[in-house]
Amino acid sequence: MTAQRVVLTGLGVLSSIGNGVTEFTRGLREGRCGAGEITLFDATGFRRQLAHEVKDFEPAQWIRHTPLEELGRASQFSVAATRLAVQDAGLDLEELRGRRGLVTIGTTDGEARELDQLVESELAVGMAGLDPTAVRRLPAHRLALAVVRELRLPQAVPSVLGTACAAGNYAIGDGFDAVRFGEADYALVGGSDALARRTFAGFSRLGLVASDRCRPFDAEREGLLTAEGAGVLLLETLESARARGARIYAELLGYGLNCDAHHPTAPDQESVARCMGLALADAGIKPEEVDLVSAHGTGTKTNDITETRAIRELFGDRPPRTVALKSMLGHSMGAASALGAAASAVALAHGFIPPTVNHRSTDPECGIDCVPNHAVPAPLRIVVNNGLAFGGNNASVVLGRYEEDQR
Amino acid sequence: MSAITIDAATEAKVRDILANSLDLDSEELTRTGLFVDEYGADSLCAIEMLSAIEVAFGVTIEQDELENMVHFEAVLEVLSRAESR
Amino acid sequence: MTPVPTKEVTTEPRPPARTDRAVITAWSAVSPYGMGRAAYAEGITGRRPTESVPDPAAWQTPDAAACLVPGFDIRQILGRAGTRTMDRAMGLAVTAVRELFEEAEADERPVTRGAGTALVLGTTLGSAASQQNFSRASYLGEKPYDVPAQLMPNTLMNSPAGASAIRFGLKGPNTTVAGGRPTALLALAYARRLLAAGRAERALVGAVEEYSGARSWLERHSRGADEEQTAPLGEGCAVLLIEPADTLPEDRPALAELLAIDVRVDVRGDLPGTLRESVRHALAESGVDPAEVWAASGGGLSGDAGDHEQALLTELFGHEAATRAACHELIGDTASAQAAFQLAAVLVTAGADPASAGRAAVITSVDREGLVACGVLRLLGGAR
Repeated sequence: MTAQRVVLTGLGVLSSIGNGVTEFTRGLREGRCGAGEITLFDATGFRRQLAHEVKDFEPAQWIRHTPLEELGRASQFSVAATRLAVQDAGLDLEELRGRRGLVTIGTTDGEARELDQLVESELAVGMAGLDPTAVRRLPAHRLALAVVRELRLPQAVPSVLGTACAAGNYAIGDGFDAVRFGEADYALVGGSDALARRTFAGFSRLGLVASDRCRPFDAEREGLLTAEGAGVLLLETLESARARGARIYAELLGYGLNCDAHHPTAPDQESVARCMGLALADAGIKPEEVDLVSAHGTGTKTNDITETRAIRELFGDRPPRTVALKSMLGHSMGAASALGAAASAVALAHGFIPPTVNHRSTDPECGIDCVPNHAVPAPLRIVVNNGLAFGGNNASVVLGRYEEDQR
Repeated sequence: MSAITIDAATEAKVRDILANSLDLDSEELTRTGLFVDEYGADSLCAIEMLSAIEVAFGVTIEQDELENMVHFEAVLEVLSRAESR
Repeated sequence: MTPVPTKEVTTEPRPPARTDRAVITAWSAVSPYGMGRAAYAEGITGRRPTESVPDPAAWQTPDAAACLVPGFDIRQILGRAGTRTMDRAMGLAVTAVRELFEEAEADERPVTRGAGTALVLGTTLGSAASQQNFSRASYLGEKPYDVPAQLMPNTLMNSPAGASAIRFGLKGPNTTVAGGRPTALLALAYARRLLAAGRAERALVGAVEEYSGARSWLERHSRGADEEQTAPLGEGCAVLLIEPADTLPEDRPALAELLAIDVRVDVRGDLPGTLRESVRHALAESGVDPAEVWAASGGGLSGDAGDHEQALLTELFGHEAATRAACHELIGDTASAQAAFQLAAVLVTAGADPASAGRAAVITSVDREGLVACGVLRLLGGAR
């Protein structure tokens, strides 16, 4: 099996700091924070009531062939983000239809938002009275099926990976292998999650929700803010991108997956370090070549300590700059690492480091340069993007600036 | 102003909650046995106890009290100063 | 800042890419026939039905019949340690993985765990019951955050895979694939990619479905108008061990080789036509002639789509092949776990008939969402 070089030529993004890659890039440069009052469900009674919502989302703009009521918000997101990615790549859908593809979407909660609404309705009318149309929106694999059906891609293999908050990176890795080894001509991969009351209630009860802003690596950080969003990346071989004169954001160099096999919610330092190590080995990159880590960086006490220790375990006591996009985007669950990869690609293509915003003073226990509050120009070559999840599921992806010569 | 008087009934109720979270029989739980060291509790278990006590007694216990809730007596102490919801 | 010792990092190049050949070398199941491989094999070969009447009080279900894993008390089966907060889906998955490991040990062919072992587990929704209960607690509690925090991991689709990893120290890739009825075939395709890319030395691949009142109700509301006659709901978890053919331990018998898996979506409102294409494509990719097919197993979806599927298999492979490895008729509609149970039923049936060795098996599945999958195996009868 000959391995092909895999490049990223299209980005589709829905996020609390902007929809579409142009707005997203502007948001990253400006260090926008997308936090606000929750409008998508009734947050009355919660002690803290902020989250990151996707604004100005008009599903009908993206979904033309599927009745809107058949799709939950997370599926609507995955369809919209995929259309954006295809457009951004300058690809003709007709052309894609004739090629073998992979559509892999990662998600934490699938259509949990829909299930919440069904539960609310069940409490009023009983299980027998539920609306069948709403029930049919639930299956999680719809997040990928909706894409394939709406875009009418007869030769695309759909998958949904439910690897919780590392799912976006899991999906990217799957697409990477499929394209690299010739199983697919292109891959549309990433993650999608819609804001769900159930998840918000859970994180609230765990005491992990911040009172005002998410401040990763900050000495006074209080926790995360839940979020929604979707990020989809179009991957193809370098050969294919060159043949059609495509703009290349970045090269995907490798990835690593592993499992802590330790605790359902507490991350494991050694295992996280091993995951990043696996990704670097896969990419053929030495730790000292890495210019930036896009951390999982949730802004909780435990994650940030464990993750930065893992980073120092791997990179030594002078680790690369390490940013947490969740300060801007919130924690968009299964979409988080896909948005992280999209941001990494944008950073590589445009030569800047998106900041860790809302930052006051770095926790000395974290011991990293988190590029506080303001983006900085930087000729980046290699970025490592992390996704860590409940269940001990870790996934790291390595992206590189596209250079004509094989690294 | 505390909402809860710590009497025998309260103690029994707290004991049941803690024992359930720690997966013990109620009588196995000693007054000063350390949750983490002696009964193998983890962070998730600690939050479970805090939540269950909040619901059972209609109080609010701030998250930063978690570090004080190390054994049965300490939990009673935390509960004695908890505010009602 | 706490100083952290720097470790030597392994960045040596990965071992050379392996060939794409993957073989099934072991399997086990927790099924309506009970615990383990032998129970499933005995039930399937004896064509023993498993229908029973679920206790309405225990299950809050409208079902007159269901195919339940008998006596499935998680704490009794798995012991008290680490099982207090497990839901049924987690318990089923952990038990199936345990059965596979224990049976391999009993066969004196133990399976290595640790970092080289991946787990790829299929589902559709995760545990509908856990999710519904958690959400309910938020609506019904005095405060909306009065939810059982310790059960939050159970609301996530990856909790069965995560719990199995914790229990057995599976530190390799740990992936949850949501794919409806065909999900085990999707999981196999995914696992094969992992092995081909050298990301694991072996993979446990399976799928799980639990029975619950929540699932039963959601299922009722999801049925089409043509699905009046349905099999009772079933549950369980079946797991297969997949290894690259060229690094197979000397003493491990290969049960079947994975030749091709075709997955596609009906994008034009023609499910039977899409399945036909899928089967044709999978056969072509495997180089298998329809006459070589010894067993063909359909996914058993109720209604027109399932009828078309069964008719197609009969047309292509003949009545005998298409009915040889019956499964859902016996253990009920196991939904997400269905294709995994089909695979296991094919291996059981092949194992009971030496004439199967060297011939092929076809496993198909379609679901209501228009997802279609077809897997083709070469039956090896335990040979290398």
